[in-house]
Amino acid sequence: MSVVTVQLGQCGNQVGQQLLHSLLCDAQDGQRKELCTASRERFFHQDTHGELVARAVLIDMEPKVINQSISRAARSGMWRYGETSHFSQKQGSGNNWANGFCVHGPAHREVVEELVRREVERCDRLSGLLAMMSVAGGTGSGVGTYVTQCLRDVYPKSFILNHLTWPYGTGEVIVQNYNSVLTLAHLYQLSDAILVHENDTVHQICSQLLNIKHISFADVNSVIAHQLGSVLQPALTADSQGAYSRNPLGELVSALCCHPEFKLLSVSSIPQVPLASMAYSSFSWPSLLKHLRQMLISNTKMEEGIDWQVRPPAAAERSRSLTAGSFNTSLANVLILRGKDVYSAETAGFEDPALYSSWLSPQEAFSVWKSPVPFNKYEKSATLVSNSQALLRPLDSMVGGAWNMFASRAYIHQYTKFGISEEDFLDSFSSLEQVISSYKELR
Amino acid sequence: MQRSAAAVSVEVKQVIAALCRLLAATGLECVPAPEHFRRAKFGGGPAVEDQFWQLLANIQQKCGFVSCEPRSQLGGATELRRLVAAGLWQTGYHADWIKDLLLALGWLLATGTLEKLLTQRVEQLDKTLILTPSPVNHRLPTELPLDSASVRRLQWLVGSLRHQGRTLLSMQEERTCLLHAVSVASLPSSVSPSSSDQSSTLLRKDCVCLQQLCDLLEAYLNWRQVEKVFWTWMDSVVDGHLTDPVHKKSTVAPNGRAARCHHGNCGLEKLDDMLLRLPTRQKGQGRVREAPEGRGEGGLLQGRSDSCPPRLPCCPLAYRLHTERPVRHSSPPADGDRGGTPTAGGLSASQAVELLLQTEALLLERRGRQRLANRTQLQEMIGRLDELVLIPP
Repeated sequence: MSVVTVQLGQCGNQVGQQLLHSLLCDAQDGQRKELCTASRERFFHQDTHGELVARAVLIDMEPKVINQSISRAARSGMWRYGETSHFSQKQGSGNNWANGFCVHGPAHREVVEELVRREVERCDRLSGLLAMMSVAGGTGSGVGTYVTQCLRDVYPKSFILNHLTWPYGTGEVIVQNYNSVLTLAHLYQLSDAILVHENDTVHQICSQLLNIKHISFADVNSVIAHQLGSVLQPALTADSQGAYSRNPLGELVSALCCHPEFKLLSVSSIPQVPLASMAYSSFSWPSLLKHLRQMLISNTKMEEGIDWQVRPPAAAERSRSLTAGSFNTSLANVLILRGKDVYSAETAGFEDPALYSSWLSPQEAFSVWKSPVPFNKYEKSATLVSNSQALLRPLDSMVGGAWNMFASRAYIHQYTKFGISEEDFLDSFSSLEQVISSYKELR
Repeated sequence: MQRSAAAVSVEVKQVIAALCRLLAATGLECVPAPEHFRRAKFGGGPAVEDQFWQLLANIQQKCGFVSCEPRSQLGGATELRRLVAAGLWQTGYHADWIKDLLLALGWLLATGTLEKLLTQRVEQLDKTLILTPSPVNHRLPTELPLDSASVRRLQWLVGSLRHQGRTLLSMQEERTCLLHAVSVASLPSSVSPSSSDQSSTLLRKDCVCLQQLCDLLEAYLNWRQVEKVFWTWMDSVVDGHLTDPVHKKSTVAPNGRAARCHHGNCGLEKLDDMLLRLPTRQKGQGRVREAPEGRGEGGLLQGRSDSCPPRLPCCPLAYRLHTERPVRHSSPPADGDRGGTPTAGGLSASQAVELLLQTEALLLERRGRQRLANRTQLQEMIGRLDELVLIPP
């Protein structure tokens, strides 16, 4: 039951490498044999010498980051990438989505499909495909979207989960909003679920929780990898009947993204403490879950600075939109608990109907996955994957920013010259407006 | 792209061979050779016909269209043909016989018989199969609420079902791979003799079953890939059937009525005889009375006797196969597909049924009136006779 990871662009390749590394490091302990076996089988295969080789394909339009990821993996001594599982070119995509989607993607389609096909065929059973990319640049976003489209064509029945890293709001790339809008609008039709990490949020976690002074992309990537790892490491689900789930992507998608208009997922996890403080920290499930619940409701991603004033609206108030302004309504949630005494954790707080929309009961909207094995050195940890209004504001501002630029047709010529017309932009805007509207009305 | 006739004919032969392999794999005993299919298209002769009769009988027995009588008990060819005809009638097939055995087979294939045979055989061979329960009919509320929340909920549920379907499909694929691996690994040559003969016999049996199952599934997959060619060829058979002058002549009976099927002939004739007899008798009785009611009755009877009795129109009932094509929902639309519109003078099965029902109602009504008239008449007669009282039942 394997997941094939497709790492796209600079960000995708960096985060992907960190993710696989943290998954394997976590699964190293000899005592947890079942989890180790399940985790390794999911993300790695063994070559003829018994070495662990990642079930991953690395794609970028320039070679630098791919080479770095490959060598970093090899240096760990625990695993490596396949020798021929990567594809790169000499020149990047120039932060241009159209260049990635219309030029580079089609030009290298066959090579990429062949690489993925080889990995898929090595799997006894394919659980699904995990495509990792950022949305700000040109390769991750443009080529990544094109590759997702190809994967959807070639594997129509497989589950495809896209992990996206959203850029800093202040702007890493001047046309990042255009790239983001085009990516999201296209992926919404292709992907089964879109799991999002925002650089701004993760940056805050690094600075306020982890006390990192000079935050680099490596730190940000490490937090993303930890959160993603806590979702993807094997767990016991309601369907898995006492064994570690063999269908992680399918179960995640089925629990959270059954409605075609609601596919945006966000992740919160608790606790997040610096490594140095780990020894001095003790955690209890009631406290962790109480904090996590409030983080969900008040839409904060950190256990510090939670607004405890935000409450679920009473039944009578549900229809009034103003009072529900700061309350984050969820469509569905998956709570993943890992660690000691996990079976004694009381999760009733997440089954409150007030947290959810009126048309889905908490029984259908809420699922719990558990693993008695701690993750990544946290004695107890809880991760919440949420399909809620949490991403509404950043999405709205992203679309708004793109629209403002589009209104004056700024930089549009750079897209039209590669084959993306103004109609394509307008289509993307309208589909995202539909998504925004759907989430706004979620009650 | 021009393809030579020879190439097409070779392809067709291969496709029919695939079909024959599949039919044999489903456990059918009397599968004709591919060459016989070609011969059947042009008439075939008695030997070929016999083979197809046997095949059709076998298929129908396996599918339960007719009761399962052991072949040895069938009293010769006539009995066999009656059995087959009865079975085909039940599946909705009515046509002339001589060249239509092939069309009859095509009909059965198109109506899902192949899948039925396949499922039966799989259930026989696969001991590990958990028979899927029949789909539960969830009772939907009679009035579905149409507010946006309900619509959203329905969309969610549909999405959830779709995801479940994909998950199940992937599980099925994995299971198939594992089964294949097991069957390959446990081929008889590689099975080492175990300590107990019984267990090794059982193992061998299981191996054989699994091998047969794999062969069956493979044959079915091969068939599905080339099925389209077969239906195109069947089109040509039907075309040949239509344009064949010999056949056309034989379809028109001496009395000018269009051909009908074996059973329809007998039934129709009986019904016609009954109807012919009916007005004649009543005509005789009706003339005796002239009561006002009777006039109505008599008039009615008179009218009836004068007018042509409402005989079952033979022409509409003589449907021909070519007037309707069995359309399978799963088969791709064949190029020559003519849909279900009847040609002039032909009737579809449903229309014939409707006509028969109407006639039945008419006859029942007439019978009722006749009974009433008879009773009235009887009462009058008794009334005229002294010292007699009629106590009607």
